Amino acid sequence: MPENAIQLLLNEWLLDVFNPQKRIFWGYLLSSLFIAILWLRLINKINFQSSFIQIFNRNVWGSASAFADYKVMFINAFLMTILSPRILAKATVAYIVFYSLHLLFESKPSILMGIPQWTIALSFTLFLFILDDFARYWLHRWLHAVPLLWSFHKVHHSASTLNPFTVFRTHPAEAILFSVRSALVQGISTAVFFFFFGNQVTLMMVLGASIFTFAFNLLGSNLRHSPVSICYWHPIELILMSPAQHHIHHSTAEKHIDKNFGVALSVWDWIFGTLCHSKVGEQLNFGLSGTKLINPNTLKSLYLDPIQEAGNLLLNFAHQLSLPFQRENSA
Amino acid sequence: MDIVIKRPKTTLAALIASSLVFGCVFAKPDMYGNFPVTEKSYSGKKKDSTSYTGQVARHVLHNSLKKLAGKGNGNPNPELKATMMSYYSSKDAGRKIIDPTSKGEFKVKQTMVDEISKGKNLKGKTYKGLVNGFPGQMSGPEVFEFLIDKASSSNKGFDPVTGYNYPQLISKFMMGAVFYSQAVDNYLDEKMGADNKPNNKPYKKGAHYTGKEHSWDEAFGYFGAPAHAMALNAKQAYGIAKRKDVKVADANGDGVVDLKTEMTFAHAYYAADSDKAGTKYMHTIVDAFIKGRQLIRDADGAALTDQQRAQLMSYVKVIKTNWEKVIAEAAFKYAGSCYKDLEKLRTIVESNGNASKAFAAYGKHWGELKGFLMALETSGRSLGEAGVRMNRLVGYGPVLLGGGQVTGIDSEGNFLIGGNRSMGEYQVHMVKLQKLLGDTFKLKARKIDVTGEMDDLLKSLGSSRAAEND
Repeated sequence: MPENAIQLLLNEWLLDVFNPQKRIFWGYLLSSLFIAILWLRLINKINFQSSFIQIFNRNVWGSASAFADYKVMFINAFLMTILSPRILAKATVAYIVFYSLHLLFESKPSILMGIPQWTIALSFTLFLFILDDFARYWLHRWLHAVPLLWSFHKVHHSASTLNPFTVFRTHPAEAILFSVRSALVQGISTAVFFFFFGNQVTLMMVLGASIFTFAFNLLGSNLRHSPVSICYWHPIELILMSPAQHHIHHSTAEKHIDKNFGVALSVWDWIFGTLCHSKVGEQLNFGLSGTKLINPNTLKSLYLDPIQEAGNLLLNFAHQLSLPFQRENSA
Repeated sequence: MDIVIKRPKTTLAALIASSLVFGCVFAKPDMYGNFPVTEKSYSGKKKDSTSYTGQVARHVLHNSLKKLAGKGNGNPNPELKATMMSYYSSKDAGRKIIDPTSKGEFKVKQTMVDEISKGKNLKGKTYKGLVNGFPGQMSGPEVFEFLIDKASSSNKGFDPVTGYNYPQLISKFMMGAVFYSQAVDNYLDEKMGADNKPNNKPYKKGAHYTGKEHSWDEAFGYFGAPAHAMALNAKQAYGIAKRKDVKVADANGDGVVDLKTEMTFAHAYYAADSDKAGTKYMHTIVDAFIKGRQLIRDADGAALTDQQRAQLMSYVKVIKTNWEKVIAEAAFKYAGSCYKDLEKLRTIVESNGNASKAFAAYGKHWGELKGFLMALETSGRSLGEAGVRMNRLVGYGPVLLGGGQVTGIDSEGNFLIGGNRSMGEYQVHMVKLQKLLGDTFKLKARKIDVTGEMDDLLKSLGSSRAAEND
């Protein structure tokens, strides 16, 4: 690979490390480390050295699965620079919605006048966060439920160890879906609020990130994919997704299949019947149950096999559709 | 501005003094004017070859015509129409300056058009091509004569049936169809050719300026900037047109404002208006005019070399590009105004309020928008698909409260109204128009940007690109 391409990739990656809108921002990684140490010291009563060994477990960070995560992270950074300009943009969504609202509403409801600016900003920030989390829940659920989508999503689930960079273990087809989801959520939220409240709408931010995204990430979002399993008090786990609940989502145990699709909020799982509480000290195996991927960490398994599998599914589907016509012809 | 040196004691001092005086009179890089006579065939007494009084006279005719267009009483008024036509098409002596006139401390030196330049009209310099965006398939002069006729019988220039505001339509289109078109499609175009109005011949027989000198001056005159524009900031130049601060306008300190050199007219005023929002159109354009004029002066009455012409054409490019942006910025601003007016009107209509005042404001802003858009198409440069889209988005008239819009003109010269477009839909057109103008002309000032804040908000959300799992 040419030198400047490597430099470009590193720049892309480094930008994320220094961007508080991204989960792998150094500050969030540090806060996750701090929370993990506190948990292991105070709850699990493990000494500092042992805590450190558990967090930076060589069998996790140095595993073949982890190395596949790192490879995918860099390859995807490159692929996304090519794909991104071709994916639906949030501005396109926002303008379509903004235009449509002019045709739907004769005028803006007068009840909306005189609302304090901070209320509007808080409402927008909260609405965006909730809609985003809701959309993430449902897309995630479909990624598991629809065989075609699962053929791509299982790349993420093929990780047998979890570290914060496993979040990047994503097939590009899935990355396109995530980008479209994000464009739809951001475009719709922005256009609706801007139509009704004009320039009073702002995003409540800390370090350039939404306050809710900031809080979610600061409070250990990176521990969702990590060797440290932190459980919340069960009433809280009905609302907020604990890192241990996400570990359950990655578990190969049968009772854990198709549970805990939520991201920041677990309330969607609670409402739609997919919630599973965590248990302190529960030992879990991560990865895919069965032997669907012989070696899940090769580039072929991570990039090409899902495409082949999806292609086969589509061919099969097309064949099923054509059956009635074939019968008609033979009759 | 003359520098007086009293009793120079040495030869050196005398030399310095004379060079200072010379420099002050003939080479002020920060102002347009006082360029020495370089035409070799001229033997008269004139020392300054700068001349654009004809253009200033036309600015005054335009300003006055705009005032007259708002004087109607709602009934056919042949007398008013004749007066308007005299400012548009006749070259009669004795025409008063109706605008700009003295206002309080802001004393204007001239009161008659002839004091600036005699025998000038606007019709002779009007863009003769088909006017895109206006119904009736008319040429430039035909459009103005049609508008003058309608304005003379309107009530203070406004027609509530069509939403047309005639003073605005006439004025904004005239700035393009006369001043802009003449400058960029004539003086800065064919007259910059090597063999057209060459620099080694007088502009016309007996003239004290060369072909290129006067062609350049005429283009500068049409822009409408005061000669000392480089010494003014945007707010000051803008304020002169509003007749606010006589001290700023009165560059030579004689206590009065000389319309020939000290006034801000037409597009220079709109350049200054944009520049208040951070652009530098006025200074960029005037600076290119000064540099170009200095280049011609430095040729000292000889034909321009290819190299000199190439350099001159680089200044032409700066002027043309930025001038076009100035007009597009103004159209962008009024598209935003129309959007806001429609917003207000929708609320009033919803609550069964009296919309007449808000409707008149909307008509005024629409007239400005339409006039500027029509002006953009008089430069001799086809706007291509962008031009077609602009005209389609705006249509022939503002969308009326009942959903109608001017769709054409019948054989009697009456406006036809039809269609059923909602005000909300027309608001969308205004947003799309702003986007089109912004993208086509790469605008920066973007005043009254309807979706500017939404764009900023979207940016604040960060990238939606996500190769990250949950």
